[in-house]
Amino acid sequence: MSSELRLELEEVLIHEYWLLDNNRLEQWLALICEDVRYWAPVRENLTLDEECLEQTDLLTHFDEDKVTLGLRVARLRTGSAHAEEPPSRTRHFVSNVKVLEAVSSLEVVVDSNFSVFRSRPGLEEHWFVGGRTDYWLKEKNQWFLKNRFIKFDHDVIENITVFV
Amino acid sequence: MDNAPDFSSLVDLENCTVSPIAFSSEAVYQAELEKIFSRSWLYLGHTSQIAKANDYLTTFMGAEPVIIVRQSSGEIKAFLNSCRHRGMRLCRRDHGNKKLFSCPYHGWTYDEKGDLKGVPQLDTAYHNELDRSAWGLIPVSRVETFEGMIFGNFDMDAVSLVEYLGDMAWYLELVLKRSKAGMEAFPGCHRWRLGGNWKLPAEQFGGDNYHTGALHRSMSEIGLGPKGDYRGDNPWVRDFEVKCINGHGWINFDVGEDEVPPEQARFFAQLREEAKETLTPKQADLVLCAQVGTVFPNMSIISFFGFTSIRVWHPLSAKEMLVHSYGLVEKNAPQSVRELTRKAMGLTFSPSGIFEQDDGVAWGDIARFQGGPIRSKHPFNYQMGKGHGKRMEDKPGLIGTCSTEIGVFGLYEKWQELMSQ
Repeated sequence: MSSELRLELEEVLIHEYWLLDNNRLEQWLALICEDVRYWAPVRENLTLDEECLEQTDLLTHFDEDKVTLGLRVARLRTGSAHAEEPPSRTRHFVSNVKVLEAVSSLEVVVDSNFSVFRSRPGLEEHWFVGGRTDYWLKEKNQWFLKNRFIKFDHDVIENITVFV
Repeated sequence: MDNAPDFSSLVDLENCTVSPIAFSSEAVYQAELEKIFSRSWLYLGHTSQIAKANDYLTTFMGAEPVIIVRQSSGEIKAFLNSCRHRGMRLCRRDHGNKKLFSCPYHGWTYDEKGDLKGVPQLDTAYHNELDRSAWGLIPVSRVETFEGMIFGNFDMDAVSLVEYLGDMAWYLELVLKRSKAGMEAFPGCHRWRLGGNWKLPAEQFGGDNYHTGALHRSMSEIGLGPKGDYRGDNPWVRDFEVKCINGHGWINFDVGEDEVPPEQARFFAQLREEAKETLTPKQADLVLCAQVGTVFPNMSIISFFGFTSIRVWHPLSAKEMLVHSYGLVEKNAPQSVRELTRKAMGLTFSPSGIFEQDDGVAWGDIARFQGGPIRSKHPFNYQMGKGHGKRMEDKPGLIGTCSTEIGVFGLYEKWQELMSQ
């Protein structure tokens, strides 16, 4: 696995978070495949053997396709999505980027860690921390997100108004 | 700690008002743990979550951690999740299957009945003088079920669960008994921490349809919520709110099904047919309306967009709560419908839910900015619909149209009754 590919994907992930931190949500959506699965199962307090995040039917914080991600963005644009009105200040961090599998130079499975800081009106500050396994595809010299499996590290979480 | 206010004065029954102190005072919260949460029927879980012998599930009753255990006999018992020796939680996992519960700290071990069976060094350290029969787990005095919902009560003298639910049972059946197969819980639980007093979501689910037009306006704007102000086209018939006994409340309103995917529409049609057999004709007419309710004090149910969520507003303090939300689905739902159901719940009513995000902000904001001496002197208004409720022949309870606060205020009438004792 070339470190070049890793750097290329890291660049993509950093760009993605730059878009989110700068409220360029429509541009962020443009990086996402039409048939994406963007999902985050709930976490449970069980033994490592018992916790099966990929089991069918396990409740999810997110299980989105492009349509529902688009709805979430459209809602934020209405001016009456009170949870984000006035908008929170967010800072997205990505690290520990590791290419797990390069199916080809155009299809890559990549792991990364994230942390998102959110400051809301009225002294409320929260962190969202976890890991992700992504599947990115390259078409016409641009990378598109095809699958994002999100593992939040929280069993009890805060109100999630951010994308990770 | 603030000085304990006179609890009986916080609710004005004549004028339908409630003091902000009921939502901000730690003294009130501490009294609630004793007067409300130690005496009321509290939701523990769903029978499908502990289907097999020795299955257990952990949750809370007020501030008390509890374990619910399916006995070898099939019966359900519940105990405080707290070792009698030093009080450490015996089970720190969310659920599982165990014959014996052993404390991680010193190893005191209890069986499914809560009896203390094993004490390390009983002979050398306790000189065989410890009376194990006196040190069993602290039981939840009463455990009863209704249509798959398990409730517990610390009060041995409480009325039966069915009597406690009263006319609310008729409405709960609209969701829980609309199929022949019955419902089961999805694996997992949405757990989130929210600022806000636990009574705010309880009152909202029990009878506040009024908030939807303003707080959830963004949903109408993107075409996902009812148009206008959620008054409904069929007041009294399909669009109504109910004040039930004992502080319980129910909201019923019609939502169009234009947007429902075909496989879900087919399943809905099947449920409507099944409901004709499982429910009375008058109940069957209302099946699959949007339905939201609260069982006093802190369990709520919400069923629409094809999903059903049962949630418990566990109080953490006067100003903070822990929400547990479980998803229910008919046992005979096809896999495609189960998937739609789970996704709809995550999208709309969950920690990331595009409805519920906004509710959380309202409750948190109210909590953070109460407690000042000036605001505390001016009560909150619960007068909407006062005196306009009516009794109807086709359904139980006191009925009002959307919107009314007769159901919401019913919660405070019950609250005041218990807090004054």
